Amino acid sequence: MVKDKATVVVVGGGATGVGILRDLSMRGIDALLIEKLDMVNGASSRYHGLLHSGARYAVRDQEAAKECIEENTILRRIGKSCVEAISGMFVQVEGDDPDFVDPWVKGCAESGIKTRELSKEEAWSLEPNLSRKLVRAFEVPDGAIDGFRMSWQNVQSAARYGGRYKTYTELIKINVESGAVKSITVRDNVTKEEYDIECEILVNAAGPWAGKVAQMAGLDCSVSPSKGTLIAFNQRISNRVVNRLRKPSNGDIFVPHGSITILGTSSITIPDPEDTSTSWDEVEELMKTGEGVFEHLRDYRILRVFAGSRPLYVPKGADGGRNASRGFVTLDHEKEDGLKGMMTICGGKFTTYRLMAEKFCDVLAPKLGNTAKCRTAEEDLVPAVSEADKKAARQYFPSYGVNLAATRLGTEKFPEVVKTLKENPETREVLCECENVTMAEVMRIAQEPTSHSVADVRRRTRLGMGTCQGNYCAIRSAAIANKLFKNKLEGCGDSLSDMKNFLQARWKGITPVMAGKTLREAEMTRGMYEVLFNVNGGRR
Amino acid sequence: MSKSDVVVIGNGFAGLMSALVSADQGKKVTLLSYGAGTFPLNSGVIDVLGYDDSGKAVANPAQAVSAVADEHPYKKIGTQALEESVKFFQDVVAAEGFPYVGSLNEQQWLVTGVGTLKPSCLVPESMQGSKCFEASEIVLVGIKGLKDYYVDMVAENLAKELGNDKKYTVVTVDPHYQGARDLTTKDVASWMDTEAGYADFVSQVKGNAGAGKVILVPQILGLKGNVVYKKIVAELGCPVVETTAMPPSVNGLRLRDVLLSALKKKGITVIENAKAEEAVIEGSKAVAVKAGGEVRLQTYNADKFIVATGGFYSGGITMRDFGEAKEVVFGLPVECDCVEERWVNKQLFSDKKQTFAKTGVRVDATLRGVNESGNVVLENVYVAGRNLSGYDFCFEHSGNGVALASAYKAAKA
Repeated sequence: MVKDKATVVVVGGGATGVGILRDLSMRGIDALLIEKLDMVNGASSRYHGLLHSGARYAVRDQEAAKECIEENTILRRIGKSCVEAISGMFVQVEGDDPDFVDPWVKGCAESGIKTRELSKEEAWSLEPNLSRKLVRAFEVPDGAIDGFRMSWQNVQSAARYGGRYKTYTELIKINVESGAVKSITVRDNVTKEEYDIECEILVNAAGPWAGKVAQMAGLDCSVSPSKGTLIAFNQRISNRVVNRLRKPSNGDIFVPHGSITILGTSSITIPDPEDTSTSWDEVEELMKTGEGVFEHLRDYRILRVFAGSRPLYVPKGADGGRNASRGFVTLDHEKEDGLKGMMTICGGKFTTYRLMAEKFCDVLAPKLGNTAKCRTAEEDLVPAVSEADKKAARQYFPSYGVNLAATRLGTEKFPEVVKTLKENPETREVLCECENVTMAEVMRIAQEPTSHSVADVRRRTRLGMGTCQGNYCAIRSAAIANKLFKNKLEGCGDSLSDMKNFLQARWKGITPVMAGKTLREAEMTRGMYEVLFNVNGGRR
Repeated sequence: MSKSDVVVIGNGFAGLMSALVSADQGKKVTLLSYGAGTFPLNSGVIDVLGYDDSGKAVANPAQAVSAVADEHPYKKIGTQALEESVKFFQDVVAAEGFPYVGSLNEQQWLVTGVGTLKPSCLVPESMQGSKCFEASEIVLVGIKGLKDYYVDMVAENLAKELGNDKKYTVVTVDPHYQGARDLTTKDVASWMDTEAGYADFVSQVKGNAGAGKVILVPQILGLKGNVVYKKIVAELGCPVVETTAMPPSVNGLRLRDVLLSALKKKGITVIENAKAEEAVIEGSKAVAVKAGGEVRLQTYNADKFIVATGGFYSGGITMRDFGEAKEVVFGLPVECDCVEERWVNKQLFSDKKQTFAKTGVRVDATLRGVNESGNVVLENVYVAGRNLSGYDFCFEHSGNGVALASAYKAAKA
């Protein structure tokens, strides 16, 4: 049954998909994005959150390096509420190849990336935790970016231009008639309803799943999912991004975000992009390498370990993994395979998501007779919340939390939440102390049509992502949010099961690092939820 | 330099009970205290054994305890010591005017802070959730502004546990709190300790009290033993039941206060803020432990030592790197099955025990640490509570039961 139609349907709610949705919408093209789970659940949130300066690619891939520095500059301008505008360092420690430095400095200069060499003393004074085995250090314009927020802000920006999106909507069939895509069949993963959506052009932006989507149309697209494992620590180990100055390898990069630090990553070619499992060996490898940069790394508490799969595009006959290009490719299946109305975008990296969308839409738009220019670099992702609104908010919640809430909620929802806080003092309760999330904010996000479980609320608010990893906010958010969801996700039908699922998802990231201080947290989590609350139920 | 007969290290439930039993034996006891143990975390109820190895609820703890696996502390402690320890505990708290209800032959059922039921063995009078079974109506009291107690959620889950033939009524009490911060159960309990607060609360709940009803409240019935509980039950004329609670648990603090009061009466020396850092060993005996604050360590000599420093949560057992588990004061041998495939269950709320949770000191039936060949390592050092290996207290609901029985046995030895 045909239930919906759009000129362009974009498959995939990662950085690539949301970038294209925004670009198309700003060009005035009617576009709908579908995502099989919640927005940003794949590689766009399962990565460092590094806004590359491009320096990492300066030796091997100067084209990528140039793209990175240009996009880095643009995102710092248009994405002020999702970019943490810090800087970065490249450090060489004893044992690293000294001959790598000169070509790297030269490569950066040629790519337009400013570097400045720091004396060891200066480097240590800026980042006191850096290893005493430091040899050389350079400053570069790296930054940090919140993948969840960036993606949602793209979606919100697109929505202002008429762009639409449906989460928990999975592509299950591509309907082709006389050599052209006519419609797609999707399944609503919340209500289990199946229906058709008509479209003129289907965009496959499914990242590591792009090969699977192409297969539905009988096409071959060689995407090699490459798993990257990352470790989150419970504090800022440095105030800058810290990279190892050597040939790019595993465990080279530390990125501070808010109150935590992320170390990554590995690169393992895997057959199934759904595989986000992690092992002791991967953790140990990252820790060993990481210790080279921060000697006391093992004394920090690990919050969790997680993995995502990169969508590396592998032209036939080429290598995958670390050697595969981080570049991207646009496939027009009309040209390549004789199938009208379908295009695939493959590969690429988070930092250049906007540029990828621009180049892709420059090919797509003319097919629809649209000649509008790309405007995504000109306009901020979201308008800034006004100082007056922030000032009003400071009366009702901790001032540290005001900026966080403002960037999470944006210009429309933030004043609404402040109004709730004002009128209903009970909603001032801080449900998540780690990330400063009030009850009012949780209630507001729970009422979004895209919220079906506490985990969905988590990705929008960062609730449970901080240092307590959900120990305290699990009960609070389940009690407050679960009853507000219009449609609930399978297995999250009541507050208790929603709470258990939420904690289980946190547990997944904790199990591979169950040592050190993490054990202590685990014993507390179990003491609270198993002993005190007996969440498995009573008289079994 | 003073010398005691017994030095107890740790002031959680196992530590306080070790000290009390030792003193009862006529010993001169010094207790080294640091932190507050798990009192604020465990709601101060004595779980002996709630669930067996297959996750089935245990009806008769005494019977089930005699059937535990060889590695389990109860096997080493034996049922006789367990029975005696329960009696000892009940006598201590009764003498302090804070009696606990229950026996080893049946479970008490608690209502938890999320509305599920939980088996326990000994509970204070105010937490007898079993009283809900006979009631025709449960009146659930929420407190306006109270954090971590969501009365709708409690009602939702309790109805699932007890069935829909009962009536569930939610009443929200307004404590008229004007401050800016979030309220905890401890704040509300303090308010209930005041005459005005108590009267205010009663006036808001009284209309819902009556025959056939149970009034279910969060842990707010005062901080001082059972004073408020006795008063309010008499005044409302129907059972009043407290749930378990998120930390800081009011009942955990009540039990702690009561035990500390008993300690004082026994003349036990309590050294505050004395974190035991190292032991002085001579041959196969410990002669002293060094403990203290940040600056200088004091030496505490004794003929006998009882280690009750807790597990991973309390820091008595640590494991900085995989497989390198340690007992932090004496370096006693630690049993640790650190193999990746077995170490952690992929499911948090699993149907089997967590291997990592069983990590602890390997002991023999005397509760002294033994090496792999089963020989006692330090002949005058005994172990009590979560320091012990071989059980998963979260899965079994056995934490304070093992703490009590092992403390008793260690102190008697």
